[in-house]
Amino acid sequence: MADDWVFRAVDVTKVYPNGIRANDGISLHVQPGEVYGLLGPNGAGKTTLVKQVIGLLKPTSGRITLGGHDLVADPSAARQLCSYLPQAQVPIDSFRAREAIVLCGRVRGGDRAAVSRRADELIEALGIGEWRDKRGIGLSGGVKRLVGFAMVAVCPGRVVILDEPTNDVDPLRRRLLWDQVRELGNRGLAVLLVTHNVLEAEKAVDRLAVIDGGRLIAEGTPSAMKANDRGSLRLQLMIAPGRDAPPLPPFVRRSTLVGHNLMTVIDDADAQAGIRWAQDAIKGGEAEEYALSATSLEDAYIQLTGHDSEEG
Amino acid sequence: MRAAAHAYWRMFVWDIADLRLLLPVLGCVLTLQGAGFVLGIGLFFRHIPETAAVFVATGVPVMNLITAGLIFEPQVVADQRLRGSYDFLWSLPVPRSMMTLAWYTVTLVVALPAMVIALLVAVARYGIDFDVSPAIVPAVLLTSLTGVLIGYAIAHGVTAPMTARLVSISLIFVMFGFSPIVFPASQLPGWLAAVNQWLPFGSMATITRAALVGGEAAGVARGYLVVAAWAVASALVVAWALGRRR
Repeated sequence: MADDWVFRAVDVTKVYPNGIRANDGISLHVQPGEVYGLLGPNGAGKTTLVKQVIGLLKPTSGRITLGGHDLVADPSAARQLCSYLPQAQVPIDSFRAREAIVLCGRVRGGDRAAVSRRADELIEALGIGEWRDKRGIGLSGGVKRLVGFAMVAVCPGRVVILDEPTNDVDPLRRRLLWDQVRELGNRGLAVLLVTHNVLEAEKAVDRLAVIDGGRLIAEGTPSAMKANDRGSLRLQLMIAPGRDAPPLPPFVRRSTLVGHNLMTVIDDADAQAGIRWAQDAIKGGEAEEYALSATSLEDAYIQLTGHDSEEG
Repeated sequence: MRAAAHAYWRMFVWDIADLRLLLPVLGCVLTLQGAGFVLGIGLFFRHIPETAAVFVATGVPVMNLITAGLIFEPQVVADQRLRGSYDFLWSLPVPRSMMTLAWYTVTLVVALPAMVIALLVAVARYGIDFDVSPAIVPAVLLTSLTGVLIGYAIAHGVTAPMTARLVSISLIFVMFGFSPIVFPASQLPGWLAAVNQWLPFGSMATITRAALVGGEAAGVARGYLVVAAWAVASALVVAWALGRRR
């Protein structure tokens, strides 16, 4: 029966009236139980795509389905079957944290006792117990974000759409939040996760798509995306302000300069030579510091998009 | 039907909880508006003529109902659009019609006490002997509904928040200055009186006045038709605005 709830976007194209092509022929599918990341720089078209899923925007062409439901033709079914945490904060200034979660669950049609129980579970799991009876207006941005997550997770339907869920959340609670994102998958829900935080997404998602310029430019598991960089290291140089980046040695496989941050990928075997090159650059005043680390999904992402994840 | 009733009730509870800090303030503002107008207009006269007193006493509560409908939703929605929370609310699985109905109920909850207080102030200040008929129920409900739907149409039809705010405030000024609500239409220039035959505000006053003081209002049936027509037209705009996906 689980296969009945596969989420599919088929050749979704969105052209705004001003001619901007925000999505261009995007096709993907998400299985129940799967956490699927949508990665890409700001303006890539990720939010546009998920807004079409929830029925806030309409595709210019293409299909979006969940099992046997056509979500484009029936936006009220989309709202029933999908819950959505937008990029902006949820409107909870007047609500107490727990009250907002419970009321949202009730508005989504949840049973009173089940909603109450799940709200307490989520408050506990996200580490926000000390704010449970505080009004939203007095909460920090990060706690509000966690309450917002609990509001969409309390009675979530079949697909949970999370648009930058970790914004403003402190590092400790980010881990708790990612655990709960995984837990949604464990409960058999499909999770569509929009983020530009590649490093965090790498640990949380089962599969991911990289979107840039409205097009899906790569798709796969995090390990498959990193496959090209097996046996490689990332050598990162912070270029001194006002100085040019040093000339690249021949062993650098590829490089990207984002602001003052020069990121290169080198072979394991060239580690010593790389360190010498970086130290020489520091001695020569061209660089301030360097870091050598294992390659991550971010390196594959940078190669694909030409952006680093901090840049969005 | 049962699901729709549940959705309506839960959205009503949500709206009340969401606006609990704002509702008492709005109730106070409407009460000040109503009582202030009832008392203030009397200051224009050394001895207010009875007809004028009746027009003021029966018109001001209508202003309360219209103000609540026209101002409230456009301001709240403009705020939601600016904060970015509009998308979250409209992604909730509640039928648009039930959201609108819940909002209508919230508006009534806020406006009715102010309306009653304005009437009581009028009784105390001018000694008006109201002759309230059962028609007060449909008159008030239809007047309030039409005000809410016009406000809703502006709030959701005009996507630029500042423009929506300006349009709703401009309509309030039209209501105050250019609509025969607290004075008879015969006081207006002929052309403006003719225009008001087709606008909702004067007709809202006509039907409510007729239900409060029998015999003081003419054209009641036409008034109901005009107000109902505006309700239907606004509802169509609301349905278009809420159903539209860019």
